[in-house]
Amino acid sequence: MSALERPDDFATRRQHLSAMSDAELQQHFWSLADKLVAPLIEEARTHTTPSIERSVLLRMGFSSIEAKALVERMDERSLLSHGAGRLVLELAKAKTLSVRAAGMALLAGQYWQELPR
Amino acid sequence: MKLSANEKLDLREVLRDLEHYRPKRKGWSWRRKLTNHRLGPFVYRNASEDLKKSIPLPAAQAFGDIDPQADCVITTEIASGRFEDDLRRMRMAAWHGADHIMVIRTTGQSHIDGLIEGTPEGVGGVPITRKQLRATRKTLDAIENEVGRPINLHSYVSGLAGAEIAVLFAEEGVNGAHQDPQYNVLYRDINMHRSFVDAAEAKKILADAGILQLDGAHNANATAKQAWKVTPELFVQHAINTAYSRAVGMAREQIALSTVPPTAPPAPKLRLDLPYAVALRELFNGYVFRAQQNTRYAETDTTEATITHVLDTLISRLTSADIQSTITPDEGRNIPWHYNNVAGVNTARQTLMGLDGIMEMIELKKDGPLREQVRELKERAVLFLEEILASGGYYNAVAAGQFVDSGYFPERRGDGIDRSPAGGDRAGTVIKRAPDYGAPVCSHFGDNVYRDSEHKVCGAYGGCTLCDPAKIQYIDELDPEDNVETRLAKPLADRAAGILHPEVEKHGDNFVCVTIFVPTSPDFAEYAALQIAEKMNLKNAQVISRRVLHPAEGSVFEVRGMLDVAIEIDEIPLAARPEPLTDTEIEAWARPRDIHVVAATVGEDEHSVGIREILDIKHGGIEKYGFHCHFIGTSVALERLLDEALAVGAHVILISTIVTHADVHKQHMRRLAELARRRGVRARFLLIAGGTQITDDIARQCGMDAGFGRGTKGRDVASFILRKLRTQEKS
Repeated sequence: MSALERPDDFATRRQHLSAMSDAELQQHFWSLADKLVAPLIEEARTHTTPSIERSVLLRMGFSSIEAKALVERMDERSLLSHGAGRLVLELAKAKTLSVRAAGMALLAGQYWQELPR
Repeated sequence: MKLSANEKLDLREVLRDLEHYRPKRKGWSWRRKLTNHRLGPFVYRNASEDLKKSIPLPAAQAFGDIDPQADCVITTEIASGRFEDDLRRMRMAAWHGADHIMVIRTTGQSHIDGLIEGTPEGVGGVPITRKQLRATRKTLDAIENEVGRPINLHSYVSGLAGAEIAVLFAEEGVNGAHQDPQYNVLYRDINMHRSFVDAAEAKKILADAGILQLDGAHNANATAKQAWKVTPELFVQHAINTAYSRAVGMAREQIALSTVPPTAPPAPKLRLDLPYAVALRELFNGYVFRAQQNTRYAETDTTEATITHVLDTLISRLTSADIQSTITPDEGRNIPWHYNNVAGVNTARQTLMGLDGIMEMIELKKDGPLREQVRELKERAVLFLEEILASGGYYNAVAAGQFVDSGYFPERRGDGIDRSPAGGDRAGTVIKRAPDYGAPVCSHFGDNVYRDSEHKVCGAYGGCTLCDPAKIQYIDELDPEDNVETRLAKPLADRAAGILHPEVEKHGDNFVCVTIFVPTSPDFAEYAALQIAEKMNLKNAQVISRRVLHPAEGSVFEVRGMLDVAIEIDEIPLAARPEPLTDTEIEAWARPRDIHVVAATVGEDEHSVGIREILDIKHGGIEKYGFHCHFIGTSVALERLLDEALAVGAHVILISTIVTHADVHKQHMRRLAELARRRGVRARFLLIAGGTQITDDIARQCGMDAGFGRGTKGRDVASFILRKLRTQEKS
């Protein structure tokens, strides 16, 4: 639990808001909210997670069990920063395999050395 | 799959060929609103299209069984632990007007880092899996055909597998979902970086699939020590999820705010909750409002809970609600039972229709305490946002314990939930995307080397599952024991053998609930109530609600227990009464014969609505067939009734007896038969009794020729008269 404690100082704290019209207050509210989420959305734009990577493989036609195993093995090899879907698609293109066959080959232990580092 | 009103849901059919089932439609559906909807004797202002099949509110029998539907979607939350039992409950709820079915997840699913498959049994909810969703959507597709209105299926995109669950929902035709990363952070202690990064992907998928998103702010309400003091924070939580969703690209009309009036009586509920509701609708104008009912102060008394829920729904009408969610009245004492889902839906339906058009006549004041409090709430929320930014942003504010503090912001009491940005479940699992990062699928958020391609990013391999559902990999079951097939063995065997068990939640649970008043002090009374239940053969009896009526005079208890019985359907006698005759047949026989019917409400009883419905032509009563009806009045003495019948040469005497205190209805019937006999005129008349507590058996036992109960129509009575008199005529 936090140690932040203080009495209700609303009357003094609100002084700078008192002159605002309702519309101005509303605008201020939303501009603060947008500012607050901007760094969060920037992090999301530039990062990924195992769940996102599994969700990409699901969309590429793998089952949840296959997606989980592929992402775990890619994560062990620190490959997820390239995107699980990209690794599978580019492998499929290089080997002229279907996307599914490329993924199943990885699950069978093949081609790992050919993936980007 | 097609449903028939007189047949139970065929669970075998539901499970058949699920591998190839595809949902009939995707995305959220609203009701079709009607602003001047004529139905029976009324015109409704806030209505929507009628249902093809439904069960009206009980009082509708006085208005020609009309079943007006409100303009907003009505939600019920269902979860018994076994989805196959929930499907039957969904059908019952839909027949009472629910069109948003929210399926609660099993305890702990948030912390499973991946999808669950198959149909294992859940605790406090069901494991959300592809098979469970597909079977549920298939059933709802059939139910929506049956009732004639789209039904929205809804569950939760939270926890560690949010992005995958969002894909699953988009693929399987789920229509609504909770998605709010703050829920993970505050209540599930899942790492905050992980929660927000996952959430962006999940939101993008929901947005593209047309799935309506609900946020999670209502949870602060349910968690806060004093729920009305957390209101400034609720605006902040709504704003964070809303702004984040917009930044991902979700449309306004897909973003729903989950809002609960925070208090319950004896708190001055409307004075506290109304300014909050108004301020919220102003600040978030243009978004969707899902009005939830209060759970924070729900105790075990279902009447008390219902009254709070009526007041919650009143606030919805005084402000606005696109979705009126319902809480079952028994939520304060157990996982909801079947009939309490229906009770909750009916609370909303009854209240909304009762308040139809109210805002044409009243308005909320534009000055005074309401406006002052609305302004103050908005300012407190703004100050909260300012402080979050001043402290370095959202993560720092959570770390400082700013959220779910019991102080009324800016007051702080130091008892908020604090989470470390570096801690929580799966901390350290967020990975920076390399410059060559790629995700060749639709509905992907963020930097992606494939994004700038001219064609669909999934075109390189013939389309992703969102474009080509044939690519979806369906897994049926993983656990040979814990699955629906195993669980269905007993219910299906019971059904085949025609065996019935009492049930509140799951097939064959054998639970019943009895109300027992015990006239002594509470300590003794509770023990006595349990003893009484035991003597009634209830096993594992448990008091689930208690209310002291007076410390010495007595208490009332509701006691739940298991009654280990099975009834065979074949042993139940078929209803003895034949089908009514056709209108044409009745009129053809009755009109030429000038048959007189004398009718009255007897005893000290002023009810006349029921008997009027049986007699009057304007209500479809027997007058329309050409019977000459003489209604003598209410509270009529039996002697006078008999005199009048003799005077007009009546063939039939109809009595209505509604009051049943001390079995007075039975006395009236016996006395009328006896009186007619003593005067030697019994054979001249058909004696017929009607009333809410009358059955044919009771009436015959009391010397009548027939008895008619609730739901009787003029045609039923006319058919009886005709058959009886026709037989007499022939002999």
